[in-house]
Amino acid sequence: MLTLKVNGKSYTVDAPDSTPLLWVLRDHIGLTGTKYGCGIEVCGACTVLVDGEAEKSCDMEAREAVGKNITTIEGLSPDGSHPVQKAWVAEQVPQCGFCQSGMIMSAVSLLRRKPNPTDSDIDSGVNNLCVCGTYQRVRAAIHRAAKG
Amino acid sequence: MTGTISTRDDAAVDSFDRRGFLQRSGAAGLLYAFSIVAPVRGARAAGPSQPIGAFVRIGADENVTILVGVSEMGQGIASGIAQVVAEELMVDWSRVSVETVNAGTTYGNPFLRGTQGTFGSLSMRGYFAPMRKAGATVREMLRAAAAQAMNAPLSSLIAANGRVSSASGTMTYGQLAALAAQQTPMDKPPLLGTGRYVGVSLPRTDIPAKTTGAAIFGLDVRLPGMLYAAVVNSPVFGGTVSGALPPTPSGSVAVVGLDTAVAVIARDTYTAFRAAQSLAVKWQLPAGASGVSTASVLTQAQDLMATGEVQTAETVGVAQGTIVAAGTPLDRTYSFPYLAHACMEVLNCTALVTSTSCTIWAPTQAQTSTAATAARLTGLPASAITVNTTLLGGGLGRKIEQDFISQAIRIAQTVPGTPVKLTWSREQDFGADQYRSAALVRARASVDAVGNVSWWTRLVAPSYAYQHGGSTGIDFIAIAGATGLPYAFAGKLVEYVRHPAAVPVGSWRAIGCSINTFVAETMVDEIAAAAGSDPLAFRQKLLADNPRALAVVNAAASLANWTTPPAAGRARGLAFCFSDNAYVAMVVELSQPTAGSLRIFTVSCAVDVGMAVNPDSVIAQIEGGVVHGLSAALWGEVPISNGRASVRNFNNYRMVRMRDMPTINVRLIDGNPNSLGGAGEISVPPVAPAIANAVARLTGQRLRSLPLLRALTGGGTSSGSTSGTAGSGSGSGSSGSTNRSDSRGTGDRSERGEDD
Repeated sequence: MLTLKVNGKSYTVDAPDSTPLLWVLRDHIGLTGTKYGCGIEVCGACTVLVDGEAEKSCDMEAREAVGKNITTIEGLSPDGSHPVQKAWVAEQVPQCGFCQSGMIMSAVSLLRRKPNPTDSDIDSGVNNLCVCGTYQRVRAAIHRAAKG
Repeated sequence: MTGTISTRDDAAVDSFDRRGFLQRSGAAGLLYAFSIVAPVRGARAAGPSQPIGAFVRIGADENVTILVGVSEMGQGIASGIAQVVAEELMVDWSRVSVETVNAGTTYGNPFLRGTQGTFGSLSMRGYFAPMRKAGATVREMLRAAAAQAMNAPLSSLIAANGRVSSASGTMTYGQLAALAAQQTPMDKPPLLGTGRYVGVSLPRTDIPAKTTGAAIFGLDVRLPGMLYAAVVNSPVFGGTVSGALPPTPSGSVAVVGLDTAVAVIARDTYTAFRAAQSLAVKWQLPAGASGVSTASVLTQAQDLMATGEVQTAETVGVAQGTIVAAGTPLDRTYSFPYLAHACMEVLNCTALVTSTSCTIWAPTQAQTSTAATAARLTGLPASAITVNTTLLGGGLGRKIEQDFISQAIRIAQTVPGTPVKLTWSREQDFGADQYRSAALVRARASVDAVGNVSWWTRLVAPSYAYQHGGSTGIDFIAIAGATGLPYAFAGKLVEYVRHPAAVPVGSWRAIGCSINTFVAETMVDEIAAAAGSDPLAFRQKLLADNPRALAVVNAAASLANWTTPPAAGRARGLAFCFSDNAYVAMVVELSQPTAGSLRIFTVSCAVDVGMAVNPDSVIAQIEGGVVHGLSAALWGEVPISNGRASVRNFNNYRMVRMRDMPTINVRLIDGNPNSLGGAGEISVPPVAPAIANAVARLTGQRLRSLPLLRALTGGGTSSGSTSGTAGSGSGSGSSGSTNRSDSRGTGDRSERGEDD
C-alpha cells in the first residue's frame, strides 16, 4: 500500500511502490490528464509538479513521491482558471492536445522560476515534445500568462 | 462570408441527406443515432436532451449538441463542422458542444462513398454542404414546431439566437425541441448563409478540456472492472509466433497469442508492459526477412529503377514514352527514407466483447473499417457492434489502420464480459509502425531557349494500396504530387514502378506528396538555375495561367521580402504545392552556422484553401504542418536493419522542439470563396524542398536525399552541432539498436539522452 498526496488529497493505492508515479496517477488514482508518451523522460507528456517543481512522472518511482505534494493538470485550478490555462485558451494553443497537460505543467514551473521569461528562457525551460507543432502558440501563451 | 459552395458530387450529398433525415427521421431513426454515445468518463453530462434528426440534440437547458462523423485529432475539424451547422441553426456558439458519434452510415463522408473516416483532407470538403443543410433543416423544423405551438403563420416566425420569435411571442429551442423532432424535414430548406460563423475564427469547442485534463483520449478510457493489456509484436517484419506461447508471468492475468504478436493481460498498464517485455517468444520469420535493411531496400529500388515494370501515370503534351528534350536535360536521382508516425498518443484500443455484443472505444480515424473488423472477428451482426470514437492524440494516418483494433478485440474475446484496454508501449508503436514509404525517384528535365520545359519522373515506391490488399496497378497515393502539377510544362511523363519491399507501409500526413513535391520543387529550382532565371520568376512564368497558384507564390515571396536580399550568410528557398484542392507556397530563410548544421529563421507561407470555415484553425494546421515538415526534412528517418526498424523511442527519432522553432508567418488568401480545400496536410510537402533550395542558394550544394541534415554531411550519421536551431541532429544511424528491449516496459535507459 502506498499513500500519495495529489492535488491536496490523500490517496492510498494498492500498487508496488516501484511503479512509476505516472501509472499510479493514471491507472490507480484515475487522474488521466497526465499522459504517457515515451516512458523514458524525453517527451514530457507526463510532467507534473512535485513540491512545485516540474518532474517527469514516467520514470519517477511512486515511493519517491511519498510525502511530497504532487500537482497534476487536474489540480492546477478547479475550473480551468489558472492564468496559464486561460492563456492557452486565449491563444488557441492545443491541437490534438495530448501533450498539452505536460506542456502546461512545464510552463507553470517555468513561470514560477521566471515570472517574465524571455524567448531564450522558454527555449531552455520548455522542452516538451509536441508532434502537432504548437510551439509558436505555446510561446505566445507563456508570454501572455506572464503579462497576467 | 456567404455564398454557395459547389460540391463536386451532388449526388453523394443528396444521398447523405437522405440517410441523415429521410431514412432516420422516424422515431426509430431518432433513437438509432443517439443510443450509442460513449459512456466515457468526462463526457458532458447528458441531461434531458432532445434529438432533432440525426445531427442535432437540444437540451432543456438550451445547450446544443452537434453530432459529427469526423475524428478529432487536432485539426479542429469537429468544431469547424459544428460552425457550419450552428450558423444555419441560428444558435449561439457559446451553447454548442460537439460529439463524434458511433460508426454508422448516417455520419459517413459523401466524399468517402458514405463511409465514416477522417483522412485525405476530405472532411470539410465532404461534410460542408450536407451539414450546412442539416443545420438549416433543423432550424426549419424548429420554426414549424413554433408555428404549431404558437398558432402563428410560419412566415411570421424568425429563428435567431436559439429562439423562434414572432410579433406575438417567443419560444426557446429547448422548449420547442420535442415538437420539432416530430416535424417532417424539408427537402430543400433555405440556406441563410449569414456569415456569422462560417469564415470566422471562433474558439474551438475542444480546447478548454485540453487545458484541464478533462479531455478523454483513447488512452484515458476507464470502465468498471477493466483489465489492461500490452503486446509484443513480431520484432522482425512479417514474423509470426512459433510453437507454444510463453507461460503467464507472475502477477499477470493471461497471455494471448495473436499470430503476429503476443499479448499479456494484467491489472494495470505498467504491469502489462513489464510482463510483455519479459516474455520469451519464439518467432517464425519469413525467408530472408532478417536480411532486410535500408541498404537492401535501396539496392532493390535501384534494380527496379533500371529494370522494373514501368506503369505510366501521366503524360502531357508528348507521346507516351518520349520526351521532347531540348538541349541536355538535367538527370537527377532522389532518395527518401521510411518515416514513423510517432503520434503523441500511442496506439490503443479498449474492447468489451460478450456473446451478443462488441463495444469498442478507440482513437480511430476509420469508424466504418473498425466496425467491419469487429464484425469479422466476432461474427456478430452490425447492429450488435458499437464503435465509440474518443479524441485522438494525433492520427497522422496511422490510426486508419486496423492492427491495434483487431488485437484489442481478440484479447477481449478471451475474457468475455470484461473490458480490456490494449496499450502499445512507445517502443512497440515505433517498432511495429506502418511507415511512410521509402522511395527512389529519377527525374530528367530540361528547358529550351523559349522556356518550354520537358519533364520526366520515375517513382519507385511501395504501393500502399497493394500492401492493404489492393491491386498491383499504379498506386495513386504513392504518385500523388507527381501527377497533376499546375506548372505549364510543354511535355511531361510520369512513371511508377511498384516496389514490393518487405517493410509495412501506411498512410502519413501528405503521404506521396511529401515525396514527390520534393522532387518537383527542387528540380524546378535546378532548371530555373540552368535557364539563368530567378526561382520566383521561373515559377511565375510556369504558373501564369493559374491565378490561384500564382497568387500564393507571389504572396509567399512578398511575405518573405523575396526581392530584398537576406542578411549576409543567409539564403531563402521557395517551394510550392497544390494538393487537396488547396494551394500553398512557402519561403524558408536559413543559414548554415557550422558545417553540417542549419538554422531556420523564418518560414513564410501563403495558403489558399478557398473558403476557410475557421481561418485560425486553418492557420494552426499550416503552422503544425510546417513543424511536421521540418522534423521530417531535417532528421526524419527510420533506418531498417536485420528486418526491423531501428527507431524505438523519441530519443532516437529527433523531432522539432521549442528551441528549434523558426518564426512561422501564414497569410491566408481567399482565392475562390466557392471552393473548399483541405488544410491538414498541404503545408508538409513544401518544407523540405524550400530548405533544400535555400541551401543550394547559400552553398551551391544540392541535397537530393532525405533527411537533409544527413545529406548535408554526405550521408552517414549526422552528428550534433552547436546552433540553436535544427542543428542538433541525433540521427541514430542504421547500425545497432536491433536488440533493444522495452526495459521497464517503456524503453531502455541505456539509449536515452541523445536529445535531452
